[in-house]
Amino acid sequence: AGPAASGAAGTCGRSAEAAGPADSMPTSWAACSMAGGGGEVGARAVSSPPLRGLQLVQQGAEARLYRGQFLGRAAVVKFRFPKRYRHPALEERLSRRRTAQEARSLLRCRRAGISAPVVYFVDYVSNCIYLEDIVESTTVRDYITSVQQSGKDTNNLFLVAEKIGEVLARMHDEDLIHGDLTTSNMLLRPPVEELDLVLIDFGLSFISGLPEDKGVDLYVLERAFLSTHPNTDALFEALLKKYSTTSKKSSLVIKKLDEVRLRGRKRSMVG
Amino acid sequence: MQHFTHQLELFPDCSVTLILFNDVKNAVALRKKAMEGSIDGALINPAMIVDPFQILVATNKAVHLHRIGKMKTRTLNAEIIFNLSPNNNISDALKKFGISDNDSAVLIVLIEDKEKTVNLESIISQVEGQQVSLAELHKITDIAKVKKMYRLTPQEEKIGTLLDGIICRMSTKDIA
Repeated sequence: AGPAASGAAGTCGRSAEAAGPADSMPTSWAACSMAGGGGEVGARAVSSPPLRGLQLVQQGAEARLYRGQFLGRAAVVKFRFPKRYRHPALEERLSRRRTAQEARSLLRCRRAGISAPVVYFVDYVSNCIYLEDIVESTTVRDYITSVQQSGKDTNNLFLVAEKIGEVLARMHDEDLIHGDLTTSNMLLRPPVEELDLVLIDFGLSFISGLPEDKGVDLYVLERAFLSTHPNTDALFEALLKKYSTTSKKSSLVIKKLDEVRLRGRKRSMVG
Repeated sequence: MQHFTHQLELFPDCSVTLILFNDVKNAVALRKKAMEGSIDGALINPAMIVDPFQILVATNKAVHLHRIGKMKTRTLNAEIIFNLSPNNNISDALKKFGISDNDSAVLIVLIEDKEKTVNLESIISQVEGQQVSLAELHKITDIAKVKKMYRLTPQEEKIGTLLDGIICRMSTKDIA
């Protein structure tokens, strides 16, 4: 389970070791019932996500991630499977909205020059997104953890933090709110020293110019960051500093961030 | 074997074949045949294509929509051509990505599935031109025209290839 994330969202983090090319190991369909979700849809032709020949990489609360070949390329498939605990009407709309929003945001990111996976295909029937596989990438989460454990190259961490600050500043300047910022949702392309950061998981993203929303976006990251990676206050500070210098509208955002911090959970109401 | 065939992963019964021709003399007749239906394939202007992957993405989406009855155009072949466009204007797409009367290069996309088999020889014989390998595509591509059509931003060119930008626009144009 990922660090603090809102309700239904799951973090589809990725492990450092890349899965090899698809070994046609059939995915067990027993676990997931795709058929007839939401009776109101009626006789829809079955375009069940043919997730055969693809390998399950990660199971999150929100979606399952598969890896395999798609049209001759290494791809990742994000499948928002039907949630039986949701009301069917809600389920249908929510999954589709998140799928569409994710695809939209990925395009928006790329247009702004922010590295995000290329969208190959979106299946709105089964709510699957077929994306570019960032092969052999490492999540920022894994990277920080491994550097901390090894004790070597700790200076690189500051460079990574600054890179994150810079990328987020550019993202917010495009009025794009990620909505689920965690270190598991940031990938580093190999070799990690190049700091080629790729953002993923835009299911909860939306467009907003409000400093409040940007502040909250940063707050979510702060809470996730500090809870996942102990003793990293200085790192996060470096991140925010770079954010401030990169973003044109940062002062209002940081101000809001301070306000949100005061509002946050488990605040002592003494005094 | 100069043509290029790929079996669609999502539709295993379906395979896509791409054939590229240069020095084509009868583009007018070919267009007519395609419209009449005597050639059951999508006739594409290869100057607008940077990589076969671009065609595969368009075709995959077309087959998907065809199978669920949600195509935007009236035929599978038109849908393939339409999917290449970064916008939702059908006639514009067919004009820009389909072949014109004076084109000298033609790329034909053929779909084969359980219901339909494809007679390569018969198609090839109808083209008055030289069949060339897909590897020659890059010589035919008009990069300037492609860039103008897809309108990649300068920032985008820094983080990915032209093909990346093209694919993104193709795959998200219906909700962006």
